[in-house]
Amino acid sequence: MRDYRAKVNGRVYSASVEEKASNHFRVELDGQVFEIELVGKNEVLDWSVRSGERAVRAQTRALQNDIVETWLAGVPFATAVQAVGLANYPVQTDRTVERRYGGEIRALMPGRVTSILVKETDYVEVGSPLLILEAMKMQNEISSPIVGRVKSIGIREGETVKKDALLMEIG
Amino acid sequence: MKMKLLIANRGEIALRIIRTCRKLGIRTVLVHSDPDRESLPVYYADERYPLGGSTPGETYLNIPKIIKAAVGTRCDAIHPGYGFLAEDASFVAACEENHLTFVGPPSEALEKLGNKLLARRTMHEAQVPIIPGSDGQLRDEDVAVEVAERIGYPVIIKAVYGGGGRGMRMARTSEEVRRFFRVTKLESASAFGRDVLYLEKQLIDPRHIEIQALADSRGKIVTLGERECSIQRRHQKLLEEAPSVALDEKLRERLCDAAKKGLAAARYVNAGTVEFLLDKSGRFYFLEVNKRLQVEHLVTELTTGIDLVEEQLKIASKEPLGMSQNDVHVNGWAINCRINAEDPKRGFSPSPGTVVRYHPATGPGIRVDSALYSGYTIPEFYDSMIAKLSSWGRNRDEAIRRMRIALDEMEIVGVPSTVALHMAIMNDDGFLQGNFDTSYLDHVLPRMNSALLEIERFAVAAGVASKMTLRSPPVQSQPSTSKSSWRSFARAKAVAQDWRAGW
Repeated sequence: MRDYRAKVNGRVYSASVEEKASNHFRVELDGQVFEIELVGKNEVLDWSVRSGERAVRAQTRALQNDIVETWLAGVPFATAVQAVGLANYPVQTDRTVERRYGGEIRALMPGRVTSILVKETDYVEVGSPLLILEAMKMQNEISSPIVGRVKSIGIREGETVKKDALLMEIG
Repeated sequence: MKMKLLIANRGEIALRIIRTCRKLGIRTVLVHSDPDRESLPVYYADERYPLGGSTPGETYLNIPKIIKAAVGTRCDAIHPGYGFLAEDASFVAACEENHLTFVGPPSEALEKLGNKLLARRTMHEAQVPIIPGSDGQLRDEDVAVEVAERIGYPVIIKAVYGGGGRGMRMARTSEEVRRFFRVTKLESASAFGRDVLYLEKQLIDPRHIEIQALADSRGKIVTLGERECSIQRRHQKLLEEAPSVALDEKLRERLCDAAKKGLAAARYVNAGTVEFLLDKSGRFYFLEVNKRLQVEHLVTELTTGIDLVEEQLKIASKEPLGMSQNDVHVNGWAINCRINAEDPKRGFSPSPGTVVRYHPATGPGIRVDSALYSGYTIPEFYDSMIAKLSSWGRNRDEAIRRMRIALDEMEIVGVPSTVALHMAIMNDDGFLQGNFDTSYLDHVLPRMNSALLEIERFAVAAGVASKMTLRSPPVQSQPSTSKSSWRSFARAKAVAQDWRAGW
């Protein structure tokens, strides 16, 4: 039996896990019981997850540090998992959650910068629109996840950027 | 039918066309962009022809390059698929000049129906009902206001050469008419090269219903029933079904009759779709003609058993239609869910990237049209639609039940997609009762979000269990780099071996 704290999409869950047999787990998540089995390991780990009447197949893969990504219904749930009561096991929570004041704005997707909506020294709040990035024929407004002043803008309108490219620095 | 066909498209529709060609023994040449070098249709075309470049402008929209490819590989015909050059009159003209058969309508029909004002006039003269609006182009703001006051608000100001949900704005007051007239004019000039505008009455929450037709070069037209396409997001269809719960036999007959009259008036040839808006009182109005094979054509194939691409190729080779209206039978019910590489948790923002795992749904009554495979990287340059998941059943209920199972079994890992949205729709009372219109999506989004919240608990439970499986040795004995994902994968591999040993 081991206790964990899991954080996903800004919500925190408490879980206790019991390894009932090899690769067979019983997870109690805030009162709800799940029967979980590791059924395969290919490009990703395959799991059978059951709770009550519902049975689903899920895939997981380990991301950097303590983040596990679970894929269900075609979407990823990046979960930061921390073992409770284990000292030398620090948890790195979602980077975007920690960096509230200042930092770098990077491209979440590759695309073309169609317009830049701020200029250097502008003050931005969480949610302030920063630029429009066109990808897959769609215009995507990129808003600021952080608070601060625009220190530098590393891109020009019309420029094509790769995923994770540095777009702006906010300080 | 003897021909060598160039396919001027990509992804699932290129593959779809190749499948019919292989069935018929027609040789194919597939042109492709640099990022599409390793795409699935490239493997199945008889010949490939790299166009060089990545953007649509450098590749699938580049008329000189495509014509050169067709002439150089000695093709007789070009299939444009949908999007890109499918409805471009200048491309059709270029094909005609180079003695290449365009698999689609002749350029005159394209021009007549591509200009929205001309299309309205053509339909009106053929006694097909059109939405009340301006008779011709709007000369200035004053005329726009005058027309708006006459037909009543709200109205929609549209660019004559617009399309794809762009170049249109709704106005509720005379002030808005003036303001949006100016904005739309500017936008139209920059986006479509011409700033001609017109105006129509905005119908309140209509249904979008379309009639699929086939017309041969001798003027024979048959209709293959309707498709219901009301479920849309920002004027982009998300889910289609055939038939529509909104039609009875009588209304269906009137719509099919109107579609035939309209296509005949435009001297249309090949596969085409006439789109209508249906209001709450059962009145219908002409919206536009889609002058191509449509994305959602497969639901009609499922209910009629007709291979639409085969019919297109036959019509293009001047063969007469091999069927009469009495031979067409709509059997059962079909639903199509468009799976887009868009993240429902981030406001449907596009999510190009690498698909780590792809396992399409299968089973009785299931059809998946997709060019995905495990390891495929979805490029950011093109449309976000990555798969069409369709189900067929003897009735609507069976089609829905099969779709639910298929959505559960559809595995796309590595790239967020719209599977969860369709799961929510398949369990929504409004959809189940057939009670929906073009405003439906706003109503189902909260439902999707609460479904995702429930699924999140399953995801967390699996995540925690996988953490226990991947449990690392005490941190102090490891250097800090030990937590790289590579090491995690190495550990996961070791665990998997344990599991195999346990069998």
